[in-house]
Amino acid sequence: MSEQTLAPAGALRVNPTWIVGVLVALAALYELPDLLQDYWLRTFNSVVALAICSLSASLLFAQLGMVSLAQYGLLGVGGWFALRISHGLGVPFEIALLAGGVAAAIVGLIVGLPALRMRGLYLAIITLMMAGAIQVLISAFGFPDGGAGILGKSDTTRQMMARPFVADSDSAYFRYSLVVLALCYALVQAHIRSRPGRAWAMIRRGEVCAIACGVDIVAYKVWAFTLAGFLAGIAGGLLAGGVGQLDGSAFPASQSIMVFALTIVGGAYSWFGPIAAGLLLRAFPALLNDFHVDGNIATMVFGAGLLHALITAPQGVAGQIAGAGASLRKLVGGGKAAA
Amino acid sequence: MKWKSTLVGLGAGAIAACLGSSAYAADLKCGLSNGKAATGAPIVIGGIVSITGPDNFSSSGFAAKAYFDCVNANGGINGRPIKYIMEDDGWNPEQASQDAGKLINDEKAVALVGNMSFVDCGANQGIYEKADIMAVAGVGVPRDCFFQKNYVTTNAGPRVSNTKTLMYLAKKFPGIKRFVCFAPNIPNVGEWSCAGAVGWIKRNGGEAKTIVFDPGSLDATSIVLEAMAFKPDVISVSAPKGLAVPIFAAAEEQGLIDKAHWMGPASLYNPTFPPAISKAWDGKVWVDMELNSADATTPDNQNWRGVLDKYATPDLPRDTFSQAGYLAARVTTEALLKMDPAKIDRASVTAALRGVKRFDSDMFCAPWYIGDGPRHNPNHTGPVSLVQGGKLVPLVNACIDSQDPELDDVHAYEKTIGISK
Amino acid sequence: MPDFAPFFVSGLATAATYVLAAVGIVVLYRASGVVNFAQGAVGALAAFVSWAIVQHGGPDVVGWIAGILVAVALSLFYGRVLAPRLAYGDPVMRAVATLSFALILLGFIDYIWGEAPRKLRLPTDTSGFEWLGVRITYTRAVAFGIAATATVAIMTFLARSRLGLQMRALANNRDLSAMLGVRVLRADAYAWVISGVLAGVSGILLADLQRLSGIALTFAVIPAIAAAVIGRFASLPATVAGGLVIGVCEALLTPVPLIGPFRTAVPFLFAVIALLWMQRRATYVYR
Repeated sequence: MSEQTLAPAGALRVNPTWIVGVLVALAALYELPDLLQDYWLRTFNSVVALAICSLSASLLFAQLGMVSLAQYGLLGVGGWFALRISHGLGVPFEIALLAGGVAAAIVGLIVGLPALRMRGLYLAIITLMMAGAIQVLISAFGFPDGGAGILGKSDTTRQMMARPFVADSDSAYFRYSLVVLALCYALVQAHIRSRPGRAWAMIRRGEVCAIACGVDIVAYKVWAFTLAGFLAGIAGGLLAGGVGQLDGSAFPASQSIMVFALTIVGGAYSWFGPIAAGLLLRAFPALLNDFHVDGNIATMVFGAGLLHALITAPQGVAGQIAGAGASLRKLVGGGKAAA
Repeated sequence: MKWKSTLVGLGAGAIAACLGSSAYAADLKCGLSNGKAATGAPIVIGGIVSITGPDNFSSSGFAAKAYFDCVNANGGINGRPIKYIMEDDGWNPEQASQDAGKLINDEKAVALVGNMSFVDCGANQGIYEKADIMAVAGVGVPRDCFFQKNYVTTNAGPRVSNTKTLMYLAKKFPGIKRFVCFAPNIPNVGEWSCAGAVGWIKRNGGEAKTIVFDPGSLDATSIVLEAMAFKPDVISVSAPKGLAVPIFAAAEEQGLIDKAHWMGPASLYNPTFPPAISKAWDGKVWVDMELNSADATTPDNQNWRGVLDKYATPDLPRDTFSQAGYLAARVTTEALLKMDPAKIDRASVTAALRGVKRFDSDMFCAPWYIGDGPRHNPNHTGPVSLVQGGKLVPLVNACIDSQDPELDDVHAYEKTIGISK
Repeated sequence: MPDFAPFFVSGLATAATYVLAAVGIVVLYRASGVVNFAQGAVGALAAFVSWAIVQHGGPDVVGWIAGILVAVALSLFYGRVLAPRLAYGDPVMRAVATLSFALILLGFIDYIWGEAPRKLRLPTDTSGFEWLGVRITYTRAVAFGIAATATVAIMTFLARSRLGLQMRALANNRDLSAMLGVRVLRADAYAWVISGVLAGVSGILLADLQRLSGIALTFAVIPAIAAAVIGRFASLPATVAGGLVIGVCEALLTPVPLIGPFRTAVPFLFAVIALLWMQRRATYVYR
């Protein structure tokens, strides 16, 4: 625990190279959609949604040390509500997205309540059980596709989810998703740098001390679960908008475990971690499929890669990249300490 | 002397083999059938199948590929070869959407042929409509495959499948009044696939019950018991074969083989199904067929076998799904051949395919078509088979036409293009 | 009012599935502190090897023994070669690592054999007995018998034998046990061997009772964890009881009109309720 400081990793030190780097990255990202093939554009839409989902898992793990194996299930819940509201009320995409986020936040709250007293394995198991229950419900109800009634299942032609007014084409939608991703990061950072973040840090260090300092543990844990649920819901709405619909069979409990596992592999303590997790979850299988590698071989490679990462890299891919960056800086800068 | 007789035997065998294979190869009809390899600007055609995942759903795509390879070896499309690109969607709608984007926007395919996927129809409806590209699929299962302007399948679909098998059984065993249909709770597949048969028997004075089950459930015995509590005359296991086998096993365990007539839709019409259920089921399970028998000796069926033997691997199943893929490839090829080879692009191909108002093959029970209607379900007539001796034996040559009110609009459209009276 | 009696019996029959898988999980957890998500996949591979041998004409018994040996070998390989190398020490990450092993095995199984409707047959399938109008094959009775025997045998082993004591010490606190002179690697190896045997046997039986499918057998481990939860991951008799309760309740809900299609959620709901009950007293973590 001593390696973890109370301040989050990647603390904001205004640094000219940092600003230039961000501007270059932004310019590249703006140009990127036009350079990419449609296959990759669609893949990256999924990557962004999964990155937000991974952000929600890493929020709980890095800030509070809590393992949630239900985040992909909550993504499904958010997607379900986003679809239902969008089809049923015909509201703009943004409202449907927020509605999905709020719904998943409420469900996240319900998941969080029993988990308040648990840590470690028991917490992970209870969230896994919740993911299993969500799986049963989702596969029984299916996702709304434009029909009437509570469940919204259509009798004839199915409807696709309406995309935002400003972002109908695939490349526009990708830029839109990136903006949403940035807003989610901003939301998380705003929490970390203010009161909730300090309270979470105290709870992480020691609950007894936190109580002694007057921190309401229950309230802040609940807040964390709700925020994580909200993020997962937003991710679900984004995914639904990207593909146009969601499939009831695509939300098994095992996917939630994969999201958590790859969040760790990506690096839960770094800002780049969730993005790395999203890339691993969606871009890597897409790469293998593009080269027509047998899907089962892709599964094996995936499992082997995950195992390797768990064996060799506690700080995750992001940590390895940061480490590589540090060694590079040492080589080039000669003596100047890494940031 | 021994070696002499061996030599004679070998010689006779070789001659017989040559005669046999040339009898196949010489008669292969693919496209122009002129034996000349096609060179020229390739025509890009795509296909989306499901290889990895709960089941390997890809024989339509591979059969279409075999046919297109044969066409390319026989003059192509008026000299232009077909470049067939097949993608795996792994039963994942996100992946299906990526594959569609790749085929349509990156590879600029003019049509999709031989699709076989549970998730493709639903996931890609938007992109197919937006690009106005036609997907001539081999096999469609969910409801979405039969309710789209841009999607047409050569198979009949599980709803039609169940309805006409029930109609056949009701005629063969008079007095059938109670019907139970098992369906997995896969959205747009389960209850919809039973609804036609359920509606038919209710309209004819009977009663019916649909039992929906979770595919992930490990308890087949309970649903079998729930079915028997309804005291049915006919039970349909309307599920993919992997999910159906445990249900049959549980029914056998409970001694229910003779307590009702058992049937299944065309998803069970597969050579691996009879060996997977025990011999006690011999003569007791009726399985629907969407196309004529895979063992028929009629000309087009023999052509299909010949094309697969020459251009596909031996492990590709010679089943109804690969028949469907072959037919999809053949109808597309014939439509393309009627076009000006210099003017083949997506819009003209879509128009040409929509202009297919009649397509005959001895593998179909009734003439097939595509047409320009808002939805397509051209195959709704077919025979029925019986599990016997570890195989599926087609029963009668008479074809049964599904009488499902949901098909009324299809029947009406057929009258306008002259397929039916 | 529907007749619930046959569903009670069919529930017991299904419970054999849950109990077998759950016992294996709890045993390994008690002996090495790892929740083994790969148990289903290891069992699936054992079942496929067994099936393949019989398909090629080998005798049944050879198939079973080969399958169980494969399961033991894989289990041992994971436990002695891969697990010690993990960079993480906490139980959750070690459980997640077993999931990655499960993925490798699942990919391998589906690559070699693919998913097709297959049935593994055992000689006990053909005969059975009847109870309350439901027929139970001897295979299910054997599954129960094995689960019960395994439970009793392992309980006795862990409580009475020296090796069992060492295993329990190891699961409790690895470092202290090493300091006290417990041969860590040897005890660990035995724990994984026992887990492998249980995984192999349950895999073969489940492939017969359910279906011979890599995906189905691998992910059957998740409802089994629910039964293990009810047993608090510690008590084997409670696990068996938990598995029975889950199986029976799930089956009893079948004829109930609105809830019927959702009854597969029963294992998860019960596990959540059990966890809440177990943690009802607030505990604070001291650092």
